[in-house]
Amino acid sequence: MAADTTAARSIVKMKVDEDKIKTLSPHLLMAYSGEPGDTVQFAEYVERNIRLYQIRNLYALRPSAAASWIRRSLAESLRSRRPYSVNLLLGGYDTATHDPHLYWIDYLGTISEVPFAAHGYGSYFALSLLDRGPLEEGLATLKRCIDEVSKRLVVSPGNYKIKVVDKDGVREVEL
Amino acid sequence: MSIMDHNGGSVIAMVGKDCVAIASDLRLGNQALGISSNFQRIFPVTDRIYLGLPGLATDVATLHERLRFRLNMYTIKEEREIEPETFAHLVSSTLYEHRFGPYFIEPVMAGMSKTPSGGLKPFIAATDLIGCLNFAKDFVVAGTASSKLYGVAEGLWEPDLEPEDLFETISQTLMNAVDRDAFSGWGGIVHVITKDKVITRTLKARMD
Amino acid sequence: MATPNVYRSPGFDFTNEIRNSFLVEKGLPLPKATSTGTTIVGCLFKDGIVLGADTRATEGPIVADKNCEKIHYITESIRCCGAGTAADTEFTTALISSNMELHALQTGRKPRVVTAMTMLKQMLFRYQGNIGAALVLGGVDSTGPHLFTIHPHGSTDKLPYVTMGSGSLAAMAVFESGWKPNMEREDALNLVKAAIAAGIFNDLGSGSNIDACIITASHTEMLRNVEMPNERVQKEKDYKFRRGTTAWKKEDVRKFVVDEQLTLIGGDEMDTS
Repeated sequence: MAADTTAARSIVKMKVDEDKIKTLSPHLLMAYSGEPGDTVQFAEYVERNIRLYQIRNLYALRPSAAASWIRRSLAESLRSRRPYSVNLLLGGYDTATHDPHLYWIDYLGTISEVPFAAHGYGSYFALSLLDRGPLEEGLATLKRCIDEVSKRLVVSPGNYKIKVVDKDGVREVEL
Repeated sequence: MSIMDHNGGSVIAMVGKDCVAIASDLRLGNQALGISSNFQRIFPVTDRIYLGLPGLATDVATLHERLRFRLNMYTIKEEREIEPETFAHLVSSTLYEHRFGPYFIEPVMAGMSKTPSGGLKPFIAATDLIGCLNFAKDFVVAGTASSKLYGVAEGLWEPDLEPEDLFETISQTLMNAVDRDAFSGWGGIVHVITKDKVITRTLKARMD
Repeated sequence: MATPNVYRSPGFDFTNEIRNSFLVEKGLPLPKATSTGTTIVGCLFKDGIVLGADTRATEGPIVADKNCEKIHYITESIRCCGAGTAADTEFTTALISSNMELHALQTGRKPRVVTAMTMLKQMLFRYQGNIGAALVLGGVDSTGPHLFTIHPHGSTDKLPYVTMGSGSLAAMAVFESGWKPNMEREDALNLVKAAIAAGIFNDLGSGSNIDACIITASHTEMLRNVEMPNERVQKEKDYKFRRGTTAWKKEDVRKFVVDEQLTLIGGDEMDTS
């Protein structure tokens, strides 16, 4: 899972080392984008609630359960006076069934489990590349996506943070 | 463009001889951008009832959760499985409750209902987004390709199709209609419900 | 979403309203519900009331249902034709029908047509026209036959012959030229049929078949599809596909009967010699 590290306001880059991928639990990652302010607020809200569940029950929510909970939170927020405008990718490794899961979630509360996903302007490039790319070589394909976005997107961000989640947990990698 | 067309997707149900079929495409889109080619919008309700929920994808999930809750409440209270006719009214009243602030879903149902003599007879129904029921004798359609599905189904459907023939008819109807709809397609799935089994087939369809 | 209490309060639920107006603000217009662009009529005759309706339901320019029922049951001797938003006519008449039954049980009398009319107009007025039901209500009670029209905002008329829906003009033209006081049953039915037929053939929102309902003091006769002037002819060829035409990738068959064992009852083995 990768996300750029730029925090921009209007046409100005305010920060170039922002981490937009939260580690929700030992085997769960969430990348987020959307309205500045909403994103961090919502991500922290999710992070704390997932953590609370883990403290109460001594085990973490499985990816599918976490995805359902997050979707429901967004769907309920959408019915409030000031809805969160946040799009998410949720990636996790299910330690019970030993398989990885990836969920595409948007601010409307749309959810779909997918083999690959992207949000934002980069998605138009990344998705068509991922349609062809070999998914076995995850990191290499991810690098090609980032390179493509850097090459073709007018407002391309400079730096990316990349995190991997597998049976051993979460780790950050450099390309 | 309407909210109903935001994610794309279509569902059709048909009656056959002692069987029914319900089919849908598998696309989930975000306007013109395709997100998933394996988005399931048909759900089993009981052994013999299937429910298709074309429309806004967030409401597919929300309404499915809600109906599952109301169905479980019904099953616990009545201590029996729900009948398709009853389930259709459950769906209809759930939607009409939201008459002023609707879910953007046009449900399609297919199932086998019990007759007083103990047999089973085919049942299909559809509602609009505020729950107006339509019990058709032949076929029902909904979704972004509905106008195309009406036309193709009107031409291809005939009474008393055997399960295997019904599979061909509904599959061809679906695939040829969604080929003329930009927001539907990207694969298809068909469920044929008969007296003693349910056959589910994932179609080899155009992926453009 | 689901309230902590499993028994939800009755009435409409407005939880989606904020979200939907938010989506409208983003430039996505709200879709239209099925409306019955309709021809519905009713007329008085010697012994009672004849109601009539076409059977087409439309969704914009699409015919959504070719043979729907627009004459709704209120009580045994009161019926109601509905035009406008299909779901509204369906649910409004069902609700009033329930309340009329309860009312009859409470008073121990046969309920009157004015009672149904008052219940309907009060409900529609309360919702200020947002429930888009245009109705023709007819029936016979202890005070004789009565025929009303009820508009979506709650206004009512009491007339000897009435029409409503998009085909109302075509149908009214027939009534104006053909209706007479104290008509015979057959003549009244034929006039209603002619009025609906005028709607079916001259109004795009109306079509398919004719339903009628004759209500007299002693008996109610529901004539579903009395005329079918637009029946589809037998197809000359069939378009059955050869089995195996459709290619599929994956199959999953779920059998309801997994194992079956027959045990003969009666003890003695069957004599097969």
